[in-house]
Amino acid sequence: MKSRFKRLGLGIMLTLMALPLAVQVVSAQSADVAREDTVIFDIDATSIASPTNFNDLVPGTNKNQGAHQSMWEPLFILNYGTGQIEPYLGTAFTPNDAQDVWTLKLHDGIKWSDGVAFTADDVVFTIQLLLDDKTKTLNDAANMQNWVKSVTKIDDLTVQFDLNKPNPRFQLDYFSVRIWGSVTIKPKHVWEGQDPTTFTFYDEAKGWPIGTGPYKLTSASPEQFVWDEDPNWWGAATGFHALPEPKRLIWIVAGSETNKALLMSNHQLDSAMNITLGTLQAVQAKNPNAVAWVKDAPYSFADPCPRELEFQTEMAPFSDPNLRKAVSLIIDRTQNIAIAYQGTTTPSTTMFVSYAGMNPFINAITDAGLANDVVAHVEDGQKLIEAAGYAKNGSGIYEKDGATLDLAIMVGNDTQEYILSTNELVEQLQQAGVNASSQPVNGATSQNANQTGNFQAQWAWNTCGSVSEPWNSMNQLNVSYYKPAGEIATANTERWNTDGAKAYSAIVDKMGSLPLGDPAIPAMVAEAYKYIAAETPIIPLVQAEKIVPFDTTYWTNWPTSDNAYIVPTTWWQNTFFILFNLKKATPA
Amino acid sequence: MATAQTTENGPASAAVHTAKQMGRFNRWDTPWLNTKLLLGIGIIASILLFGILGNLFWDTKLALTGKSPLNLPPVGITTTLGGTLTGTWAHPLGTESSGRDMLALIIVGAPNSFLIGIIAATVGMGLGIFLGFTSGFVGGRTDDIIRLLSDVAITIPALLVLIVIQSLLRQVEIATIALLISLFAWPTPTRLIRAQVLTMRESGYVQLAKLSGASTFSIMFREIMPNLIPYLFASFIGNATGAILAAVGLETLGLGPQRIPTLGGTIYFSIQGAALLRNMWWWWGIPTLLLAVMFVGLLLINLGFDEIANPRLRQSSQ
Amino acid sequence: MRGITLNYFLRRLGIFFLTIWIAGTIIWLIPHLAPGDPISAMVARLASRSGFVENSAEIIEGWKERFGLNDPLPVQYVRYLGNLVHLDFGYSMANFPAPVSQLIGQALPWTVGLLLLATTITFLLGNFLGAIMVWRRTPRLIKYIIPLGMIFTSLPSILAALFLAYVFAFLLNWFPLIGSYDMGMKPGFNGPFILSVIQHGTLPALSIIIVSFGYWTLGMRGMMITVEGEDYMSLARAKGLGPFYMLYRYMIRNAILPQITAFAITLGTLISGQVLVEYAFSYQGMGTVIYNAILNQDYPVIEGTSFMLILITALAVLVIDLIYPLIDPRISYGAK
Repeated sequence: MKSRFKRLGLGIMLTLMALPLAVQVVSAQSADVAREDTVIFDIDATSIASPTNFNDLVPGTNKNQGAHQSMWEPLFILNYGTGQIEPYLGTAFTPNDAQDVWTLKLHDGIKWSDGVAFTADDVVFTIQLLLDDKTKTLNDAANMQNWVKSVTKIDDLTVQFDLNKPNPRFQLDYFSVRIWGSVTIKPKHVWEGQDPTTFTFYDEAKGWPIGTGPYKLTSASPEQFVWDEDPNWWGAATGFHALPEPKRLIWIVAGSETNKALLMSNHQLDSAMNITLGTLQAVQAKNPNAVAWVKDAPYSFADPCPRELEFQTEMAPFSDPNLRKAVSLIIDRTQNIAIAYQGTTTPSTTMFVSYAGMNPFINAITDAGLANDVVAHVEDGQKLIEAAGYAKNGSGIYEKDGATLDLAIMVGNDTQEYILSTNELVEQLQQAGVNASSQPVNGATSQNANQTGNFQAQWAWNTCGSVSEPWNSMNQLNVSYYKPAGEIATANTERWNTDGAKAYSAIVDKMGSLPLGDPAIPAMVAEAYKYIAAETPIIPLVQAEKIVPFDTTYWTNWPTSDNAYIVPTTWWQNTFFILFNLKKATPA
Repeated sequence: MATAQTTENGPASAAVHTAKQMGRFNRWDTPWLNTKLLLGIGIIASILLFGILGNLFWDTKLALTGKSPLNLPPVGITTTLGGTLTGTWAHPLGTESSGRDMLALIIVGAPNSFLIGIIAATVGMGLGIFLGFTSGFVGGRTDDIIRLLSDVAITIPALLVLIVIQSLLRQVEIATIALLISLFAWPTPTRLIRAQVLTMRESGYVQLAKLSGASTFSIMFREIMPNLIPYLFASFIGNATGAILAAVGLETLGLGPQRIPTLGGTIYFSIQGAALLRNMWWWWGIPTLLLAVMFVGLLLINLGFDEIANPRLRQSSQ
Repeated sequence: MRGITLNYFLRRLGIFFLTIWIAGTIIWLIPHLAPGDPISAMVARLASRSGFVENSAEIIEGWKERFGLNDPLPVQYVRYLGNLVHLDFGYSMANFPAPVSQLIGQALPWTVGLLLLATTITFLLGNFLGAIMVWRRTPRLIKYIIPLGMIFTSLPSILAALFLAYVFAFLLNWFPLIGSYDMGMKPGFNGPFILSVIQHGTLPALSIIIVSFGYWTLGMRGMMITVEGEDYMSLARAKGLGPFYMLYRYMIRNAILPQITAFAITLGTLISGQVLVEYAFSYQGMGTVIYNAILNQDYPVIEGTSFMLILITALAVLVIDLIYPLIDPRISYGAK
């Protein structure tokens, strides 16, 4: 009896140990690639739950596991440094004078990785697929249906888009990797006849997924993706660009900040996403080859989504614009940066990101005297609060009719930066007499509260969008998006719907139909910004810092502020330009 | 009364033992001066006292974000990572990365964390003892219902409930987090105690007590409960430690209180700030040390109490 | 079959099904109480990457319609009960079009292989140490060392994991830092891959073992003390039975029963509860799947995974209840 139990136990244990191996599909061992020929990147996620799904038309699908950095090439790439849109699969995308007919020219000689030619048919097929999606559930389907009346092939390399209404930003917004990604073109010969909502675009036997990029998928699992170079890449064949030097790219789920740092110190990770200053210093102490975007403070690269405090402007007591303005005056942005960011970012004076291309608009606002100060004016703020009928109680908190002046700030709980910055703001406001508190919630909760207006204030970046023109950000506060609290609003979740907001939106609408770079725009920005400054639906806080370290042990020529050929965002679709520029380190 | 006197050789010897127990009861005045017990109580008391006195002698406002300089090491230590920093008496235990004073953090945080453990364990064990005894002793329909409830509570993943409640509340306080944890701390003791009661219900001395007309209540609490005390106490200590650590776990998932310092919250921030890698040992080390000290205190109380309850143990370890 | 009557068996089986139904209903209901829905969560993830999702209201509405989230709750509940009966929970909403079974199938083997093994070791080690803490023949030194070792129990599991990773993977370079197998390796049933899996599993397993064995030790010690005081122990000693024989046959055999119950009860928690250790080592187990499903309000995955845990736990408890009277003859049911 006893020994039977023992044997049983041993048997169970051995079976358990072997289980993980049994489920893995047995497949040929891939050729080994040396470490010095491999670049290892970090995936911005805790795991890729469904690694064999490559249908990026479905909103939940990941594509920053290497797919849109090494396989799916964009039509164009916006260069933040120069503000220019650089050609890639497309050579030109030009509007008519009315900005409602756009003509796309494609590069000659592009081939899918299975050898089939990439032509205007693929572009037309992809756009038509989105136009035909009556449920508007596919990514960009609603956008394309909003703008595009029809899409036609002129010849193999030319596509014409007829728009419903003028859109000067048509190329910029959807085809140029303005932020993160763009509309990627699907191979017609694979996608035709598939149900675009359930097709996974994965079949090992058929070699799917395919793209036009210089790398092909070798293996995919929830924790790592391996991509190997395709020697037959069209770019090298046509002289567009030489084959990139890395033979293999690996994207791994590195996980916690400590893991990223340890891996990078050990030369097991070449590019990590967003770490904090202390961690960067620790990594550099152990691995002197680790570099950041800027050599010294602030070390960071500014992500295009500046941080703001946003109010649900219809929720009392902060439905009073003067109270919102008081909060803005009380906040010391410099102090927030010194403590929550350890000096690694810069304060915002307007709602815009501080890129060179945005300077004309930022300057217009500053010259009009509408920019917010970066240091606090606590007493001015307190005067505004007192003018609204509040007086301090025994514990130093403002009170009116027995109710304290409470301000609950909702914030996403998934990143340390968000929580630290909010907690620091809470202390500043408490000190000044506002009973602020932070409410860290998960993404689903904050998104739902944001869209239905069920929050008092939130630490977020709702007006993100502009990187080279002002309309995208300003339009986020457009009254045309207004929905009463309880209904889902896509934008203007601040529910800013006053007369001022309406005047603001009229200017923004007019601005939106002007061609990019029209000289009238800066003055219009200043004109519209008057209403933001007066009613403060949002409070600009700080620029979005991201410390993005690279290890130069195996690979050099990473993008840095001195060598800013592209932004250092290795989770964006513009990573192709980084791959083109990487140089194998010569052993010292 | 405290030692187990189960018997298989009949009611007669049980009666003899019961008489002996009564005699020993009177000699309990000395065993209470048990070294381990006193030491354990001393440790726990000094942590609580430290919290009380600390509030009087130290500015606990320093535990709030940004009220102190950043990244200072403890007194007498100098660090060089990212510029030279030397510890000062203004912040004897150093500070962490968002300007919180370590001393103030533990003055407020240690009693808070202890409180979470004690509330959760008391509520959990209290419910467990009550339901477990009722279920095991009363049996029948009551037993079915209690078992059904505890089975349901055991099977539901705690994380699911905790995360949903947190997103409904948005803000969590110390008492809330303790009660949330105790929500999942009662079914296991209920089950285990019920199983024990079932075992003992059939034993000779209980049968004898029944025959002699003792009430259900009296049998439960005078005959069965004392036998389970060592086990219950071990469970209580285990539960209290478990609850403190569960709170740390929840805080590590970002589900804890924000402004109110706890040891778990401090450890969470130290992990997020990669303190281990940055050699900021005071940041993660001090709260961890306090957790360990708390655990040792509870453990010593447990061991000491067992020796009091069970004299044979005392002999064997002396 | 002493102790178990047919009546008891049937009643117990009834409780089993009732448990599954009630627990199944609760895990269906609770995620629906949370603000938001899986589609909003999906849009939130998109927005956190690309700044802003144009026409998100239309995307949300379209997918809600497709997934039947606009149907009245009773309709959704009946559909869910149908899924329960077929044990098929359909597609994940957060990772559409991946089926729930694929997500579970991917993660479960790793969890079962590593975490359950680690837990079994923990259970055996913890109980053994608890037993010899009470045993009279144990050397004094060991009796002092065990409580010292138990201090590890007070460590938060994630800190233990980070510390082990720092020392053994980073400083000493004995084990890999993260993942479940080597970077760039293609999974397959071959020597190097198996070796790699074992190497990657060692530190996560170790962190689970050192922080949790103390609980079993404490519990076992308590039970052993109770047993030690039993009269049959005095009788056995009087009979002059060998100390090892007594330790095993008389003490452990009796003291271990409640521990086994506790083990069965915690089975479900073991599978879902190691999310922090998995996070620390970026290990691809069930904890991460469940945690992400909850955060993303991915109803079908929450339902599928939770229901699996419910089934496992309820079955384990059922088995314990049915075999208890067999292994412990002192209990009888239904004799009242």
